[in-house]
Amino acid sequence: MNKFIKSAAIAATMALTAGIATTANANQLDDLLQKIKADRVSVAKLDKAREQEFLSARADKQALLNKAKAELAQENERNARLTKQFADNETTLTNKEAELEAAKGDLGEMFGVVRRASSNAYGRIATSVVSAQYPGREDVLNKLANAKEIPVLSELEELWFALQTEMTESGKVASFEAEITNLDGTKSSANVTRIGSFNLVSSDIGYLNYNDEQGLIQPLGKQPDGAIVGTVAPFTANSAGYAPLFIDPSKGQILKLETQKATLEERFHQGGTVGYVITAVLILGLLIALERLIYLGATGAKIRAQLKNTAQPNPNNPLGRLLQVYNDNKDVDAESLELKLDEAILRETPKVERGINIIKIFAAIAPLLGLLGTVVGMIGTFQSITLYGTGDPKIMAGDISMALVTTAMGLIAALPLILIHSIVATRGKQIFHVLDEQAAGIVAEIAEKEKH
Amino acid sequence: MLYLIELWESVREFIATGGGVLYFVAVALFLMWILMIEKYWFLASVYPKMKSDIIAKWEARTDTTSWYAHRIRDTWISEATEILDARMLTIKTLVAMCPLIGLLGTVTGMITVFETMATQGTGNPRLMADGISMATIPTMAGMVAALSGVFFSTRLDAKVKMAKAKLVDSLPHH
Repeated sequence: MNKFIKSAAIAATMALTAGIATTANANQLDDLLQKIKADRVSVAKLDKAREQEFLSARADKQALLNKAKAELAQENERNARLTKQFADNETTLTNKEAELEAAKGDLGEMFGVVRRASSNAYGRIATSVVSAQYPGREDVLNKLANAKEIPVLSELEELWFALQTEMTESGKVASFEAEITNLDGTKSSANVTRIGSFNLVSSDIGYLNYNDEQGLIQPLGKQPDGAIVGTVAPFTANSAGYAPLFIDPSKGQILKLETQKATLEERFHQGGTVGYVITAVLILGLLIALERLIYLGATGAKIRAQLKNTAQPNPNNPLGRLLQVYNDNKDVDAESLELKLDEAILRETPKVERGINIIKIFAAIAPLLGLLGTVVGMIGTFQSITLYGTGDPKIMAGDISMALVTTAMGLIAALPLILIHSIVATRGKQIFHVLDEQAAGIVAEIAEKEKH
Repeated sequence: MLYLIELWESVREFIATGGGVLYFVAVALFLMWILMIEKYWFLASVYPKMKSDIIAKWEARTDTTSWYAHRIRDTWISEATEILDARMLTIKTLVAMCPLIGLLGTVTGMITVFETMATQGTGNPRLMADGISMATIPTMAGMVAALSGVFFSTRLDAKVKMAKAKLVDSLPHH
């Protein structure tokens, strides 16, 4: 019931409102018409004014255009003028450069010569041992060699002064105090003698090396042979006259190569285990030979003394002991005596012959051991070839030197052993002959003498 | 004189290219020839007198058949043999040593070659040639030295053996 009343009220209200709106719209349209009529007049006025404005502006723009065209013409004319000027300048420049070249003439050539000469001299003087005495000479040369402008007169003087110094000093033997950088890095002061531009020597150290990169005087990593270094001290001590000295004409290159050479001791160690075994064989063989030589020498001397005096047998030698056997059995018959003598000789011979064959065996073993070392070294060589290829001979050189060193050691061990074996064997044989072949005869002679 | 100087110069050059091992070859060769010449001289001039002395002593003996006489004869032969044989072993050893010394030179030369290779590389064959000449020349020298000795020492050995046999033959049992 309540709902019905509410909707009826809403409908009534809507109808009322519609009636009012219709009357209001009719008024507004009239106003609008009036307004448009009025506006039409004003817009026409405005257009007129704008047209007027445009017309006046057009005249202005025409003036501006004319002005710009005039400017363009002006600039074109300037461009032409400047282009011509540029071309003229270019021509002048070329002319002037040609004039400059003509004016420089020989001077440019000289500049090239100076640069070349100073770069040559720089290389020579910086590495020269003369620079150890007079450091810092190479700076001005380096500057000259790399200079872009023409050197001035004072620099040119420096160049020939440096060359002249090098030339004069290379003909002198000079002593000077210098700081030496030792191989362990410590520095010490020493009196250094420079022989021309060849070598630097010092009486305490021997040959020195000039390190041009750091400007240091250093001892060689390894001095050359004693006979060569030995001439240094007498040379530096010599104050007048002449003294012999080994110099390196290659200005240190040969000395540096010398340091790379293996010494005898290093060579010995290159032989490795096999090399040590060979050395042991040699030493053992020589010791046995020495013992044999002493024993056989002493025995031989005693036997010779006994031969001169066969009447009194001395028991300190084998022959004396044999004669003693005869003295003890004077009354037995010849055959029994011979048996007894043979028995005594059998007792004596081992003492004489002992050890001689061992020397021979050692002499035969040593080259065989050398051969073993060769084979071991070659196995190592081929292993390194398997690993690294044959590109670098320096890698293979280690094992090859082992192979060769052991061979050499085997021969070096065998040669004296062979020789000494022949000496010992001859001595042993002599004594053996005395005992085995002559003792019976000596006994027989004594017996004959006693019978008559 | 000039010829001698030239000769000495060529010897020095030979030793310089062959290396120090040649000195050992020279010493061995010198010793070998001194000993062989001494032996030839001994066989030619000293031994005949010694032999005739022994024969005379034997001929002078009344008893040449008893055990005592045999032993005395053996002793004389042995003594003579000893003198004849003296230094023969050394000569033979020296002859045998010569090629070995040459071989030693070969090996030391090859060591030089490989040392050059290790420090300088294989770029410069001239540097290696120095070691190679040090390797080959002592071998040749050792061979020549041994060959010069082999013939004469073998002849000498035969002569000594003949001398021994002849001595034994010249001491007959009467």
